[in-house]
Amino acid sequence: MRRLGRYLEGRKLTAALMVLVGAGNAAAQTGGWLLVRNAIDKGITADNEHHLTIVVAIYLGVAAAGWFLQAMLIRGLATIGQAIVIGLRRDLFDHLTGLSLRYFSQQKAGWIIARLTSDVDAVSDVLSQGMPTLVSNVMLLPAAVTALLIADWRLGIVSLAVLPPALALSRWFQRVSHAANVEQRNRIAAVTAQIAESVAGMAVVQAFNRERRFQAEFDALNEANRAQSTYVQKIFSVFFPSIEFLGVLAMVAVLYVGSHLYAQDTLTIGTLITAIYLLQLVFQPLQELSDVYGQLQSAGAAMVKIASILDEEPEIRDRPGAKPLPRLSGDLDIDSVVFAYGKDPVLHGVSFRVPPGGCFALVGESGHGKSTLARLIGRHYDPDEGAVRVDHHDLRDVQLRSYRRQLGVVLQDPFLFSGTIASNIRFAKPDATDEEVQAAAAAVGVDRVAARLSGGLEHEVREGGAGLSSGERQLISIARALLADPRILVLDEATSNIDRPTEVLIERALDRLLAGRTSIIIAHRLSTVRRAEKILVVEHGRIVQRGAERDLLSEDGVFRRLAHTLEGGDETEFAAAG
Amino acid sequence: MSFVDPSDLGLLPTFRRLLRLWRDQWRLGVFGLACSLAYTLISTAIPVLIQQAIDRSIVHHAQPLWPYLAIIAGLAALRAVVNFNRRYATARIGVRIEARMRELLYQAYLRYPRGFYDRHPTGQVLSRATNDLYPIRYFIGWGFVQGMQSLMMITAAAVVLTVVDARLALYTAVAMPPITVLALRFARRVAPISRQVQERKGDVTEAADEAVVGIEMVQTFGREDDVRGRFGEKAEGVRSTVLRQAGVESRHLPGLYYLPALSIAAVLFFGGRQVIGGHLSIGQFVLFETLLLQLVWPLEALGWITNLAQRALASAGRSFAWLEGIEALPEPARPRRLPAGRLDVRFERVSFAYGGEADVLHDLDLTIEPGEIVAVCGPTGAGKTSLLNLLPRFYDPTAGRVRLGGVDARDVPIAELRASVALVTQRPVLFSVPLRENLTAGREEADWDEVLAACRAAGVDSFGPSLPEGYETLIGERGVNLSGGQRQRVALARALVTGARVVVLDDPLSAVDTFTERQLVARLRPALAGRTVLVATQRLSTVWIADRAVVLLDGRIVESGRPAELVRAGGPFATLFGDEVVAA
Repeated sequence: MRRLGRYLEGRKLTAALMVLVGAGNAAAQTGGWLLVRNAIDKGITADNEHHLTIVVAIYLGVAAAGWFLQAMLIRGLATIGQAIVIGLRRDLFDHLTGLSLRYFSQQKAGWIIARLTSDVDAVSDVLSQGMPTLVSNVMLLPAAVTALLIADWRLGIVSLAVLPPALALSRWFQRVSHAANVEQRNRIAAVTAQIAESVAGMAVVQAFNRERRFQAEFDALNEANRAQSTYVQKIFSVFFPSIEFLGVLAMVAVLYVGSHLYAQDTLTIGTLITAIYLLQLVFQPLQELSDVYGQLQSAGAAMVKIASILDEEPEIRDRPGAKPLPRLSGDLDIDSVVFAYGKDPVLHGVSFRVPPGGCFALVGESGHGKSTLARLIGRHYDPDEGAVRVDHHDLRDVQLRSYRRQLGVVLQDPFLFSGTIASNIRFAKPDATDEEVQAAAAAVGVDRVAARLSGGLEHEVREGGAGLSSGERQLISIARALLADPRILVLDEATSNIDRPTEVLIERALDRLLAGRTSIIIAHRLSTVRRAEKILVVEHGRIVQRGAERDLLSEDGVFRRLAHTLEGGDETEFAAAG
Repeated sequence: MSFVDPSDLGLLPTFRRLLRLWRDQWRLGVFGLACSLAYTLISTAIPVLIQQAIDRSIVHHAQPLWPYLAIIAGLAALRAVVNFNRRYATARIGVRIEARMRELLYQAYLRYPRGFYDRHPTGQVLSRATNDLYPIRYFIGWGFVQGMQSLMMITAAAVVLTVVDARLALYTAVAMPPITVLALRFARRVAPISRQVQERKGDVTEAADEAVVGIEMVQTFGREDDVRGRFGEKAEGVRSTVLRQAGVESRHLPGLYYLPALSIAAVLFFGGRQVIGGHLSIGQFVLFETLLLQLVWPLEALGWITNLAQRALASAGRSFAWLEGIEALPEPARPRRLPAGRLDVRFERVSFAYGGEADVLHDLDLTIEPGEIVAVCGPTGAGKTSLLNLLPRFYDPTAGRVRLGGVDARDVPIAELRASVALVTQRPVLFSVPLRENLTAGREEADWDEVLAACRAAGVDSFGPSLPEGYETLIGERGVNLSGGQRQRVALARALVTGARVVVLDDPLSAVDTFTERQLVARLRPALAGRTVLVATQRLSTVWIADRAVVLLDGRIVESGRPAELVRAGGPFATLFGDEVVAA
């Protein structure tokens, strides 16, 4: 809650005003009934029509003021609430995008997204819908009680006698209904998950004749959800009629005591009548606050989860006094790097140095540390021991932005953002002109891919790049890297199936992209390995072999075995065929 | 493709169908309505009794007070019981009908043909069985009976007030029409805005999703500010819509709250004068105020209910259209069994098109001998997947036929056909259950040794045992996320475990890294021995698994032969694999 208070900065005056408006609104509602009392006693029973007319006029004026105040309250609280929500959402997002990849690899994407959306929404619901109810009723309850006591303290005390059981009932309802609602949400979530999974995997469900099994699983979940819904409804069905009943009891008590006091002439009939209506204003907030209570609970739980992200310290950040990098010549030095994601190191003292403009290939089976090495070069992590240096600058001593601006990365299965193909290419250099984008596209052959799509380069890419093959996505990401004109390039070659024409395009694109830049390629194809000046064979977090292809093939080692599996399979088969 | 996308049902037919569902619950429904009537009568009786108590006992001492109070308390207790029963009974109808509709929809989903899922995005199919059902539930479980009760309350109050003083009743009802109008208008205006709020929230989710999934790209290119800006815009979109909603609320809700004051003022002004003139007792004055205040909620409820009814009928209309308008894949009229032993597969003059579009397969003939492995090669979009999908009858050919062991696939009971054809799709789907259950999904009674053998052949053994809980590890969003290559291998093992006589593999190793692929190709061949296999692929390395390869171009088979021969022939096959072949 203290966190939320921060976003009130600069709006404290509005917030204070809203408290006043809320108080005014409560006063208008209860004060109206005191005016009714006055009209009855001084006007009607005193046979004074003139007084009656005046009081009715005042009464209407008070109601109009209340109308106005409540409208202000709804608007004002929504404005404050949404200011808090947007501040919270932005801060959370800004903070998230600054966290290192380690955080994103440890948390499931779905979990993180839920914090940004449903959790912030839960806070938002309380602030924009719950708040007006909360503020007006929290004030209305004491105002109504006070008005009762002012009207006649004896009647006030009589009616207050019903308040403790009513409060106890409300507490019971809040507790039970909250627990029941939480369970209900879990059960409907299970039903939704079951349907979602079946629909997404329907081909498999049907192909494997799993319909009955799925139907049975679904029926059980659907029934559990129905039972829980029924239970929730039962709780509601008990609570509201009970409160209504307690209200009548209080009224009966007031009538009983009131009749005696009236007989003794110590109570006017107007006061007695007014007390009956004021009682309703005591019970109404109890019901409405019970509704808001559930929202408050969920928002509290959501805030706890949101805070867990906000408390996460960004791992990679500029050191005080970090210098911006000048334009690099491209000397890349990996010096005795040790790195662990958890306890066990995945890199055990890796060293190599790429001269400016050099092209090195990393080769090895997956899971042995190649991608980790690439991410250390991109400074998504800092090494636990040793250093990564560019042009003799330790990456930890330079401004991250100034380095990454000179770094290009092509991922194995590149993610495309929603927008057009052109906007995805421009992603690396937002101020690029249309001509530059077109030139980059033409240079790597993206224009040819785009030609088969409606709209060409302006073709709308669907979320994540669905509808394009992974080869085509990689081609677009090569154009993106080319447009950024980096000094150092990290490329993780696509392994997944690429049809031949696209593959040819990619190879040509690489010729263009690698020229004159320092590059590290995680290679999966022999044709790419051959492109490199030097090959580094990575096994179990160490470089076990290094050298040119010819030299490595002449050694009896890991590379020969790898090369054999890469190429040998074909050769033996063809040999057999020939 | 109208048969997978029927138009929504109109209001009347929808209403008739809802009524039919409601009739199944008629006892609860009638009980609920009876409770409503009782509630109305008691709620009208209590103010009348208060009036009598004030006039006869408090003001005039003509009768003792306590009998009135005792009856009022007793009636209030009775009303609480009646009210509980009304709420609970009607809510149960709503909950039951919701569950029933969902069950019907899910049952239908399991039977719908592939064409349906090509046509409707997952989100739409999902929400029709979840969110779209809520208006139906609230309307049936609350709105309908509440609406009837509102009408009863209004009638009862009108009768009582008219009997007491008809002219005063007319004057003091002044606030009731504007309350009704305001409530109707509010319901009509706020509904579209709250839908917009939901849409804006969806935009935020999309922006968050994109940034989180693409975070590596974002950070690498230093585009954090860019995505923050984009996200900020979406968040701003939510804010402005929520504020617009608050605007609508602030124009209507206070009115609903304070308009009754008009009636109270009218009772004070006109009623007060009547009392002064001696034409109205003070108790009757109270009766007017009480009954009028009691009418406020029923009138407001009418506004909500008309709106709810529209939404409920609209979404029920969509659901019924799906339930009745979409045909499941037809079972054969005269089913035939598949012969025992190995099966051959024949595509005979097969043409195929996706609903009304151009042909994907043209007049295609292809025979796969029993126990033969045939690779289908061809560029993206050549029709490979379409061809494969005909075997488990995900689609039926538009012309020609597919025969297994001499029997037309359409004459075999669907369950038997699918039990005999194991399929590995291009993007394999695993379920959120332990790995072991995923492996045995096609044959639950499979011997564990057989499963392990399949895992060895498909390369699951290289990662399965090292998962946190080995083969018992939960897979999926709530458990461990496997990589694309690992998922493909599990799907492959799952297909092997079924022991199906025909195996259909759609680029089964596309996401597996090159080294592993070579190993798997060598291990899979013996594991597939004796089965009739059709495998589509874009990788030469996978073609080597096959006895024979065919090249599919534009829906026709243009070349066929042993892979090695095709390489030497220098025809379409050699062109397709280009340098890979030349390198050899």
